[in-house]
Amino acid sequence: MAGRVLEAGLQLLDRQLVDRDGRLAGKVDDLELELPEGGGPPVVTAILAGPGALARRIGGRLGAGLEALASRLREGDDGRPARVSFAVVKRIGSAVELSVPRAELETNRLEAWTRDHLIAHLPGAGDAPE
Amino acid sequence: MKRLFAVALGILTAIGGFVDIGDIVANTETGARFGMSLAWVVVVGVVGICLFAEMAGRVATVSKRATFDLVRERLGARVALVNLVASLFITFLTLAAEIGGVALAIELATSVNYLLWVPIVAFCVWLVIWRVKFDLMENVFGLLGLALVVTAVALWRLDPDWGGLLHGATHPAVPQGEGHPSWWYFAIALLGAAMTPYEVFFFSSGAVEEGWSRADLVTNRLNVYIGFPLGGLLSLSLMAGATLFLEPRGIQPGHLSQVALPTALTLGKLGLAVLLVGFFAATFGAALETGLSCGYTIAQYFGFQWGKFVRPADAPRFHLVALVSIVLGAGLVLTTLDPITVTEYSIVLSAAALPLTYFPILVVANDPDYMGDKVNSRFSNALGSVYLLLLLVVAVATIPLMVLTKAGS
Repeated sequence: MAGRVLEAGLQLLDRQLVDRDGRLAGKVDDLELELPEGGGPPVVTAILAGPGALARRIGGRLGAGLEALASRLREGDDGRPARVSFAVVKRIGSAVELSVPRAELETNRLEAWTRDHLIAHLPGAGDAPE
Repeated sequence: MKRLFAVALGILTAIGGFVDIGDIVANTETGARFGMSLAWVVVVGVVGICLFAEMAGRVATVSKRATFDLVRERLGARVALVNLVASLFITFLTLAAEIGGVALAIELATSVNYLLWVPIVAFCVWLVIWRVKFDLMENVFGLLGLALVVTAVALWRLDPDWGGLLHGATHPAVPQGEGHPSWWYFAIALLGAAMTPYEVFFFSSGAVEEGWSRADLVTNRLNVYIGFPLGGLLSLSLMAGATLFLEPRGIQPGHLSQVALPTALTLGKLGLAVLLVGFFAATFGAALETGLSCGYTIAQYFGFQWGKFVRPADAPRFHLVALVSIVLGAGLVLTTLDPITVTEYSIVLSAAALPLTYFPILVVANDPDYMGDKVNSRFSNALGSVYLLLLLVVAVATIPLMVLTKAGS
């Protein structure tokens, strides 16, 4: 995906992340940018996804509260927002498609926690609906 | 042949699925108080829901993105969050009202107090959401909901003064002894009942759940354009029944049994039994739709996996939200707050929130990035814009009218 010029605010932010298997894996809540050493426009290096990143976009008291909660939930390492490297982005359309399964992403931690600690304990959680 | 069957099934479930506790309460109360003078609002509401449900279904089919997904994308994280809170609150109130409605319908059949049924109903709603496949769920409750046709049969058997009913409907005037504010307040309630936002959350997510492709766009159109207007006729027959039986006797329906009165008096026990099946299916089906819609909206805002097309373990946060909503909804009804009152508030507040849902749909339905060659026609856009203006006026007027009329009392 290198080299494409994007209207990041319009074509990337708030879009759905879809993993290799078509599973939904969070939103593009924020972007990590890097200024190239030789100058020129900033380059997107990672997608930030999850409540931590979202909190900073929302701002205000609500945002601060959400951010405090998110860092307690430890979705990313060292309490920073979960990060998806831009290297695994395969295609950008009405959703942002990734080339890896969501289980390998930091953004999946809360989903996995909810599954393992709550939903998996209910009978039939692992069976397809009939 | 298979396609024809799918279309017929879709239309039938759209008819049965159109009516919910909001429509039942709003149409009966309006008929009992204002006769047929507000029938035109049902027509306006049905045209509106057809227009926007078709749009939402088409957008979801072509772009694979359901309505709240687009709300987030188009309005951004902050504004969409405000929208989420408002939409979720209204959908949750509606869910509570539907759970109460199911319990009231069972009370009518069993004479056991509805509060005892609430936990059982809530458990069954959750169980269906947890275990039953999407299309099976939709078909069973949609088809059973068709039992409400008995209200139209009762009307036809009665053979009332059709000219009088039609005259009342085509010459809208505020009846003597009623004020303009109350009349308009009930107009807003009827519009909110016909166009409740959860219908498009559910409808658009359903298109993704059922894996619709471009080949299904014709089915989408037929389901909406034929099914919803016929569902609207059921609403109108509830209104006409109330106009004929309740208005002359000065009865203000405060309970589901009074809603059943016109059918019971005309068709007797058997008619009543069929009507109760219809009440049950319509409210239970809508409880499923609103319970799922709580999950759909939150999951689509945050980007969680949602839907019944995956195993519950693969959409854990979606199922957690649905479960918690159902438990809280049942809790609200168990406070002994009257379910009919909850219904009245849910439809009026729905009306106030309509632009929040319908504006982003109209915008995205015009975006060739998402829609390719399936963008809106000029006609859809013109009509859609007129409706948005109307919905904005309604949104502004709702709360002042609510205060002025003391919520229509």
